[in-house]
Amino acid sequence: MNVAHLHLLLNHVPTVGSVVALGLLLLALVRRDEGLKHAGLEVLFAIAVLTLPVYVSGVAAYRELREQPGMSELAVLLHQDAALAGFALTELAGFVAWVGLWQTRRRGRAAPGIVPVVVVLLTVSVAVMARAATLGGEIRHPEIRAAASSAAVAPDPDQFVVTAISTVAVYSTWLWPAAEAVHFLGLALVFGVLLAVNLRILGVAKQVAFADVHRLLPWGMLGFGANLITGMFFFIGQPGQYVGSSPFYLKIAFLMIAGGNFLYLTVLKRPWAADRPEPGLADKAMAVVSIVAWLGVLYGGRMLPFLGQAF
Amino acid sequence: MWAFPAVLTLHTAGMAVLVGASWVLDLRLLGLNRHVPLSSFRWVFPAVAIGLIVNLSTGIVLFMKNATTWGTSIPFLVKMTLVIASVAMLVPLRSLVLGGEAREVPDSARGLAIASILAWAGAVTVGRLLAYV
Repeated sequence: MNVAHLHLLLNHVPTVGSVVALGLLLLALVRRDEGLKHAGLEVLFAIAVLTLPVYVSGVAAYRELREQPGMSELAVLLHQDAALAGFALTELAGFVAWVGLWQTRRRGRAAPGIVPVVVVLLTVSVAVMARAATLGGEIRHPEIRAAASSAAVAPDPDQFVVTAISTVAVYSTWLWPAAEAVHFLGLALVFGVLLAVNLRILGVAKQVAFADVHRLLPWGMLGFGANLITGMFFFIGQPGQYVGSSPFYLKIAFLMIAGGNFLYLTVLKRPWAADRPEPGLADKAMAVVSIVAWLGVLYGGRMLPFLGQAF
Repeated sequence: MWAFPAVLTLHTAGMAVLVGASWVLDLRLLGLNRHVPLSSFRWVFPAVAIGLIVNLSTGIVLFMKNATTWGTSIPFLVKMTLVIASVAMLVPLRSLVLGGEAREVPDSARGLAIASILAWAGAVTVGRLLAYV
């Protein structure tokens, strides 16, 4: 199995998964079922986390495939632009879903606008993902190409968003360093917030209610959002620095663990009970996992220039 | 060949703890969770101390690699000034936090919190840009 194979397996998560999440949320709206709404938002958050490896493994797959005969560069670019739009929409929907989950834990329910906004974003996202999936299939399956396939129109390669981002990343003298600086500021914010939350779970500052450290989580999300945007800028800008690099995959793997842990910290139920019980042993183990996962993300990222070839 | 990346990784992790913990305290001073007593933030100072020790020792190693160029470079001197200023601001904040069960934040501490957030952000930014000058 290689990353190209991984892409073919994982690409069903955003395409099929988004339809499932949409179905759950629509059912929840019709039935006015808060539990179902919560489950739908959780599923969507998990899909948003898993869509990251789908995107990056796709770029890696392209790098392995492009040497083969019969590969259409334009078919790949068309797929990649549609995939980037789908990725951005899925992340946005995942972010709004997270806000809903955070509010639900604090006030018992999400703000009234959250689920409708998520449903609209997801509907657009499903349409875009369906297009991305079709264009992706056309790369290796000429038999499904329509007679007047969009790839046959032969558009100018320069009009693609991914190539435009890459051009800016390579030719701008200040944008890359500026994005690196933002990436490090975001990293410090994420670490500060998760240090406070995890230390509280491990028993530091016990007089503070868990609700009060939970209040910090949006600041961690802010740092993560800044890093997702700048990180994707690096990746799209210079994919060759990352796709052949073992620390990059280490970083993505640790990010998956960290993402799951962030969901757990958001919805964690026990310390919210009326008698405010201390977090249990499993919660403490999760706090350790969280710290280790974020250190792993940092290690993988910092090693990119040394074990890989990024700068 | 393993030493340099390892030192750089430690320097980044130390930075994350040092700056991140300082920012969490600054956010409280600016009014986030104002009902939480300041004494609950005692943990910030051991965390900051660990981050500072790690980053001073790894920073010295990183400086030695570039001593001739960085010793006279303006960005490096700016970074050092910002780091010293940020750490200096932690001293009065520490006596405020360790000084009892206070919940009220004096106006001077609020100004200090804003200055602390900005000075750390400046230090991180200039530090990162040192790789490009």
